[in-house]
Amino acid sequence: MYQFSPITDRVVGYRAKIRDRELTFDLSRAKIVTESYKRLGNTIPIIKKALTQLDYANQCDLYIGDEELIVGSKGSHMFSSAQYPEWGEFSHKSYWICDLVDAGVWSMEEDGYWHNPKTSPALQRIHPDDVKWIKEVGIPFWQDKACGDAVAAWQPDYYEELTRLRCTSYVPKDTPGYIAPLSLPLGHLVAGYKKIISVGYKAIRDEAQAWLDAHYDRLMGEDVRKYTFYKAAVITCDAAMVFVKRYADAVQEKYEVCTDEARKAELKVMAENLYQLVEGPAKTFWQALQGIMMYQLFYTAETSNPSAALGRVDQYIYPFYEKEIAAGTLTKEFAQELIDMFFLKANCSYGIAPDVVADTTGVGNTWQHTTCGGVDPDTGEDATNDCTYMILETVGRLELHDPTISLRFNKNSPQKLWECAIATSKLVGGLPLYQNDEQIIPGLIRELGFSLHDARDYGVIGCQEIVGCGTDYPAPNGCPPHGSAFWSIIFDMAINNGINPLNGEQSTVQNGYLYEMENIEEVKDAFKAQATHVMNMFASTHNYAEMIGEHTTPQPALSISMEGCMEKGADVAWGGAKYNSYGCTATGLSSCADSITAIKYMCFDKKLCTTRELYDATMANWEGYEDLRQQVINECPHFGNGDSYADMEMKWVTDLYYEICSTMYSTRAKVYKAGLYGASDHVRQGRITWGTPNGRKMPDPIADGSSPVQSCDHCGPTAVLYSSQIYEQGKFMDGVALNIRMHPSVVSNDEGVGKLIDVTRSYFENGGMEVQYNIVDTATLRRAQEHPEDYKDLVVRIAGYSAYFVDMGKDLQEDIIARTENQLS
Amino acid sequence: MITGRVYDIQPFSVHDGPGVRTTIFLKGCPLRCPWCHSPESQAFYKQLSWFSMRCLGTKVCNDKCLKACEKGAIEYGQTRVDGTALDLNPGADPAEYTLQLVHVKRDLCDNCGDCAKVCRAKALELTGTDYTVDELVRMMKKDKQFFDRTGGGVTVSGGEALSQPEFTLALLKALKDRGYHTALDTTGFAPWAVVESVLPYVDIFLLDLKHMDSATHEAVVKVPNGPILENARKIAAAGGKFQIRVPIIPGFNASEKNMRETAEFCVELGESVEVVQLLPYHNLGVAKYARIGDDKVLQAEPPTDEFMEHMKEICESYGLKTIIH
Repeated sequence: MYQFSPITDRVVGYRAKIRDRELTFDLSRAKIVTESYKRLGNTIPIIKKALTQLDYANQCDLYIGDEELIVGSKGSHMFSSAQYPEWGEFSHKSYWICDLVDAGVWSMEEDGYWHNPKTSPALQRIHPDDVKWIKEVGIPFWQDKACGDAVAAWQPDYYEELTRLRCTSYVPKDTPGYIAPLSLPLGHLVAGYKKIISVGYKAIRDEAQAWLDAHYDRLMGEDVRKYTFYKAAVITCDAAMVFVKRYADAVQEKYEVCTDEARKAELKVMAENLYQLVEGPAKTFWQALQGIMMYQLFYTAETSNPSAALGRVDQYIYPFYEKEIAAGTLTKEFAQELIDMFFLKANCSYGIAPDVVADTTGVGNTWQHTTCGGVDPDTGEDATNDCTYMILETVGRLELHDPTISLRFNKNSPQKLWECAIATSKLVGGLPLYQNDEQIIPGLIRELGFSLHDARDYGVIGCQEIVGCGTDYPAPNGCPPHGSAFWSIIFDMAINNGINPLNGEQSTVQNGYLYEMENIEEVKDAFKAQATHVMNMFASTHNYAEMIGEHTTPQPALSISMEGCMEKGADVAWGGAKYNSYGCTATGLSSCADSITAIKYMCFDKKLCTTRELYDATMANWEGYEDLRQQVINECPHFGNGDSYADMEMKWVTDLYYEICSTMYSTRAKVYKAGLYGASDHVRQGRITWGTPNGRKMPDPIADGSSPVQSCDHCGPTAVLYSSQIYEQGKFMDGVALNIRMHPSVVSNDEGVGKLIDVTRSYFENGGMEVQYNIVDTATLRRAQEHPEDYKDLVVRIAGYSAYFVDMGKDLQEDIIARTENQLS
Repeated sequence: MITGRVYDIQPFSVHDGPGVRTTIFLKGCPLRCPWCHSPESQAFYKQLSWFSMRCLGTKVCNDKCLKACEKGAIEYGQTRVDGTALDLNPGADPAEYTLQLVHVKRDLCDNCGDCAKVCRAKALELTGTDYTVDELVRMMKKDKQFFDRTGGGVTVSGGEALSQPEFTLALLKALKDRGYHTALDTTGFAPWAVVESVLPYVDIFLLDLKHMDSATHEAVVKVPNGPILENARKIAAAGGKFQIRVPIIPGFNASEKNMRETAEFCVELGESVEVVQLLPYHNLGVAKYARIGDDKVLQAEPPTDEFMEHMKEICESYGLKTIIH
């Protein structure tokens, strides 16, 4: 069995701080940005962005922890939560924290801060001066000035219908859960970290300045636009250098006054590292990690919560590691400690959020999805290296739920990597995500037009989305996070003449009622018509937001590292990246598939009830129809049991979704990617999805990701895997999330581990693209509910990310328990 | 067409024989092991099982099962509070969410299954389904790729599969014909002619050795061990392979003496024994007794890990590969 290495005291102490963290609301960035925007007025957005970033670099608060080896923060505290008013945080008439403070929900404590209730899953605090500033300066200034407000101000005609129907993540303004279409993340991507640590900021600045010099007095045609980009790039590189230099100076100051010899020696190297990184490339392993972290903090200071995935960290850092190990300037033990401290540092970047968000996500997620393993982009050979294992060790040994780790497998992956992966999964629920290169690499070439080299160099972001590393801008520009159409609601509308049974709102597509339909083909036709209509409106909203976003939300700090942008003189928001795509996910399509199966089986094939009865039962949210509901649940076939009767309907639904997506495109991107995953959206969707024909009642969750409906897979994990091979997974380049819960006894010995590895391999050889294992038994989960204090570190995977079990809301906990536990006989 | 009576099909068995396996459990057994964790496997006839947790209360189905039973074997039984519903409606009167469950009067029940037919929640279920060989073989198809990748296959178990000799032979033969690896999980208690007939179609025998003293064996499990040991010797002589399974049952065979005698017998079987598997007694099957109205269950403390390790060491001292599960 795979053996993990020991953990240093420093790492143990730092990790404890992170588990017990309290987030501090930090307004320093918001104040700087507000002053910049006041001063810059009507300056064009890309220059305004760059100059604001320069102001930020010059004025931002710094934080350096006494035990840290990798430094950097979003503010003056270890857990500073920076604010992004230009992205809409203060655009509403009130701000949620101020409301809670005013309502007496948050309480004043001795430290002089308002604190949220101790019962909250995520502890948060805010200084009274900040509450005052938000009310007196923030809200009055930012009304109608945020980027999303331009989208919200005027909309195409269909938008009213789309929001009124409540069958997508777009809801009418002033309803709970409202998110302006451009107010939230743009970049869901892997930035060009490799470029930053390979060439440094000075070289990028010089390249941009050379273009400017060559076009000093002559800006014809497109050159005038390029000029603004290269000018922004120069200012941004200056900002980056200021940012890193200020950290270098701060560490140098600490070094000069430090009296502890051991720490003084560390600070000396840390200062040298940072001074090197101001202008130049990384030259050592330690500098490579510090350089990635500095750029991460720098570019994410530009954009609100951009789901800044780290990409193939093991591949970025291994050349440095290899060189230094050979030269004897680095030990494996210290390399491991540096990697530990790097990912713990990454784990400090949480955003402050209302309890309702914590309820559905646990204490949050920093969205810095990291990809390990895989193949060499040039040779295609397996690229697993020492650093691959070290990153898995960090996640496993430290029981980190974040960042999410995707582990890439191919036919040449070493057995030891599989064993390390299972050993990690046993410690940390759902991590790593097992990704199959053999499906994904050809998929990227076929679906997205990637070169073989770039396809081999893919990374995974957010929950599950597949992207190129530093080459690809796959952002759903303008789309809220987890933005998606709610397919189970669309299904209800399809059997209800286009009316959402939850609120009675009518779609313009009126396709009749279930009881008027005479065969299953008519039901499917209705579903197809309704889904096409809703998806058209939904993607058109992305497209509209994309068009506006080109002007209002350029991101020069990101663009300087992305392949394509510097070459073309075009920002990522203008389509400057080498590859452009967008997309959205459809979680829980198996709920729709099972609904079709239920109608087919009950009404048409076996004639156990009439369409009228099934319609009435569904529209009554199954109230008063429990006997029929039990028959549907217990007698109808379900997806996930290796029964083609039910599995074929999953294939049909996923094909339908893919076909609809393949007709969509925006001004920037020709490809709208389809995906089968979705954070914890299945729980949230369940709360607003009326009863469905598969026997599900509101508010029960719909199925998660691409998994079978909860508790409806009775034939074990191999049947789930077999069923999942029925649809072509390689078409779903926005990612697939298949969650399987496994009893720990399955992998209690080497033999069991070996069998699970071979089962996964067989799945991958037969079309499987992704799988994630939660290895935990029901008894443990129940005990954790009763005694959360004893299970603080228990990590489970939801759908798109992992979280601490005890920090999640009750309904999400129950959803995880409801997933079939696969045990041995 | 010949059918076999099956009480369960368990996919993804990873600790019983090589690779990932699917186990087909046949109903009916000549032995009566008091620790049996599948009491529903013992009788050859179909049996009514009662799962109280699945029952949604008679209000929901309007007393369907009571009405369906012509023998008057179903009556109102205990009540249960629906905790989930109560959680969702805090402050509600628990009486509103109290479910009226039923009780099966076993002396009147003839296991006809009329009540199970109308129970949509499957709280009343007839244990025992008759399958043809083709039906079962078709069901194995979905796991073939995983069997092949892991060196696994199909295990035919019981009850005692050899108590349905014609069907078991036909099933094993059909599986072998289609290239499945086969295991027969058996008590070994069957006429030699039956064992001999299946021999060409069994890749490995999972054979239980419960006690080496025949008198004790017979006193507790109701049959002597002589025919079992004799069959084992003959299988070994014919070149069959074994995974020997020894349940470690406190108060019955959990002794150093019996472990040594068992190990000595395994040594006598020679190279045909691939591995000895020691199975610590567990009480997970206890709840199943109530489901079929049986109260003859053994209640004992499972052996400690230390004791199991001790047994393993003894077994290994005879040069036998030994695992605990």
